[in-house]
Amino acid sequence: MKGKLLDLVLVLGGVVMIAPLVWLVVNALSEPIDAFQLPPRWIPRPPTLQNFQQVPDLIPFAQMAWNSLQIAVITTAGALLTSALAAYAFNRLRFPGRDQIFSVLLAALVVPVQLTVVPIFIMMRWLHLVDTTVAIWLPALVNVFGIFFLRQYISSIPRELDEAAIMDGAGHFWILFRVILPLARPGLTALGIFVFEASWNNFFWPYIFLSSPEKMTLPVGLVSLQGAVGGGPAVVLFAAITLVVLPILVLFLIFQRSFIASIASTGLRA
Amino acid sequence: MVAAFALSLFHWDLLSTPEFAGLDNFKQLVTDGATVRAVINTFVFALASVVTHIGIGMLLALGVHRTMTRGTKYFVRTAYFFPFLVSWAAVALIWKYVLDPAFGLANYYLSATTNWLASPTLALPTLIVVDWWHTIGYTFIILLAGLQTVPAQLHEAARVDGANAWWRFWSVTLPVMSPTIFFATVITFIGAFQIFDPMVIMTQGGPDGATRSIVQYTYEKGFQSFEVGYAAALSLVLFVVIMVVTGLQFRLSRRWVHQ
Repeated sequence: MKGKLLDLVLVLGGVVMIAPLVWLVVNALSEPIDAFQLPPRWIPRPPTLQNFQQVPDLIPFAQMAWNSLQIAVITTAGALLTSALAAYAFNRLRFPGRDQIFSVLLAALVVPVQLTVVPIFIMMRWLHLVDTTVAIWLPALVNVFGIFFLRQYISSIPRELDEAAIMDGAGHFWILFRVILPLARPGLTALGIFVFEASWNNFFWPYIFLSSPEKMTLPVGLVSLQGAVGGGPAVVLFAAITLVVLPILVLFLIFQRSFIASIASTGLRA
Repeated sequence: MVAAFALSLFHWDLLSTPEFAGLDNFKQLVTDGATVRAVINTFVFALASVVTHIGIGMLLALGVHRTMTRGTKYFVRTAYFFPFLVSWAAVALIWKYVLDPAFGLANYYLSATTNWLASPTLALPTLIVVDWWHTIGYTFIILLAGLQTVPAQLHEAARVDGANAWWRFWSVTLPVMSPTIFFATVITFIGAFQIFDPMVIMTQGGPDGATRSIVQYTYEKGFQSFEVGYAAALSLVLFVVIMVVTGLQFRLSRRWVHQ
């Protein structure tokens, strides 16, 4: 009996948690005149897609989605590659100053990005890269956390495997790409998911560096759309937010198991 | 980082030649009331964030860890985790409408007429609630994973020794979980000190600086009023605060975290 009551409390809490998201989708699907009614409606009557059709009239949504995707893909691919190369070097190679360099990198782990934003902004101005997507992905190509994380992962892969490959005449790249990385796949997947998610949802950096609508990423675009529709009830804004949020939620439902397992095992956070 | 330090010694508006300022920017930090306010706001936000995330997250994890039907467990886990996947920009915009005094959900269900984000006393607590809604799913999953590492035999042994539920939690669950709790605390603290998005989108730091955070003030100084040197000095303050608090947590952890 006590257990049932606790279940009920937890379920009710869960309903409250998702209520704002349901409200978002319901209003996005409502006729403007039916939206934002009190008491709130939880089923759109009648559902309509007209708000979604109006999104491109106000912001270049497709272009913004493309920018977000492009930046997230380049960032993820780049960060995985540089992290793998650096992690291999720090774990498997011997060179003078290796451990000293690594401890400096570790220190960089606790430096917040906000500390680097002012100097990097000035650098990007010199390079005439402000208000380009390059300004977003270029500094993200090297991910200190990724190096640290993959180094830990690689150090658990037995060195006998490398030695066997060296016997067969393999070089470092062969060992890294054919022996180590295939074995490090779960680590790479977890890191990849998180770098992608962090990039896709990032607001701080694009908000500072991007100003023209056709260069913006989706999160910044949403905020600029809110400025455009003003303070009143905004079904079109809700439609745009739904377009950004819904694909992520659906992807999560599909990949939930591996996604949660990767957070639980690595503690990665966007 | 070196560049940030160098910049902090100058007055510069990005256009004219930088002018050497010595420690002027740092002196201004202490005398500028807005900076002091931003530092206090950030500390209040971070402290409240850690307490609510770890406290309620722990209760949730304990609640879900018991035997539940699969369906209930799936629903609860998914429902609490969903908001974490939504970007801050979308979260802040949705909540601006949820909290709208005229047609928002919050006032309707609380039978209130409060203008949450315009109130000098309620605005910051409101943002703490929104932040909690956004990231509790993460804390909850981490704590749940930690809870699942507690060996059932230990509980069994304690039960045989006559320990009641509360004592088993105190002497078995908590010590085994302490590294997880420590990790979640450190991560929540660091994240909370860097808070920026909801302030910029929902309140612009207002009303009257009541919700302005350190990072947001850095942004205002560096990219709106173009006092680049001062902004760099502010960002160093953030860095030092994070370093000191994290260092302190590691030091204190020796007393309560089991390795």
